[in-house]
Amino acid sequence: MSAPRSAPIQLSGQLPGELIMWILIVSEVLVFGAALTGFLGARALDPALFAQSQAMLDRTAGALNTVVLITSGFCAAMASRAAQGARVAAVRLWLAGAAALGLVFLLVKAREYADKAARGIDIDTNAFFTLYYLITGFHALHVVAGLAIFAILAARPSAANVETGAQFWHMVDLVWVLIFPVIYLLR
Amino acid sequence: MTSPKPLLRAWALLIALSLATTALTVLIGDDAPHPALAGAVLALAGLKASAILRRYLGLAAAPVWRKGVETVLAALLVTLFAVWLIPSL
Repeated sequence: MSAPRSAPIQLSGQLPGELIMWILIVSEVLVFGAALTGFLGARALDPALFAQSQAMLDRTAGALNTVVLITSGFCAAMASRAAQGARVAAVRLWLAGAAALGLVFLLVKAREYADKAARGIDIDTNAFFTLYYLITGFHALHVVAGLAIFAILAARPSAANVETGAQFWHMVDLVWVLIFPVIYLLR
Repeated sequence: MTSPKPLLRAWALLIALSLATTALTVLIGDDAPHPALAGAVLALAGLKASAILRRYLGLAAAPVWRKGVETVLAALLVTLFAVWLIPSL
C-alpha cells in the first residue's frame, strides 16, 4: 500500500493578479537592487566625491516625488477597485488622477535634470552622476511606460486589464521608495 | 467590491512614513549619518515598500507569497546597508 500523498500547496491560487506580473515585479526590484548596490559600491571607492556630488541633488524634489508617486499609486489602486465593480466612469477618473500625478513626477524630474544641465552637470561629469542619471533615468522611462499603459487601460477598462496595469504602476512606486533614500539621502 | 478603507489607511501610512523620513533627513543634516540613522532611513524605506506590497499590490491576502517577497526585499536592504557601511570600516 502506498503512503497517502499530501495535497500540493496552491501558492499561485492565492496570488493577486497575474503570476507573470509578479515575476516582472520581483525581477525589476532585483535589477534596481543590483544597480543601487553598484551605486553604493562605487561610493565605497570614493566617498568624498559621492558626498560632494550628492549635496548637489535636490532632496526636496525627491521627497515631493515620493509623495506624488505614493498618491498616484493610491489612485491606481482605487481604479482597480472601481474596475472590479465595472464602474467604467470611476475607473477612468481614477486612472486620469494616477496619470496626472505621473506627469507631475516627470515634470519634477525634468526640472531636476534641467537644473543639473544649467550647472554644467551631465552623465559624464563623474561616477556619481553617471549612476544617478542611469538609475533615475531608467526609472523615469518606467513612469513613461506606465502613462502609456494608463492610456490603453482607459480605452479597455476591464477588471483584469486594470489590475495588471495598476500592478505595473505599483512596481514603479515600489522601486522609487528604494531609489530615493539610497541616491538622495544616504551620504 | 471591497471597502476603500484599507487603501486609504495604506496611503496615510505611506505619507506618515515619508514624513518620518523627512524628519530623519533634517536630523541628519548635510553630514554623513550615524550608522543607526542610516539604518533607520533604510528601515523606513522597507516599511514603505512593505505597505505597497501588502495593500496596493494585495499581498496581505497571500501570506506565503508576502513572506517570500518581503524576504527578498529585506535581504536587499541588508545588502545595501552593508555596502553603505564599507567606507566607515
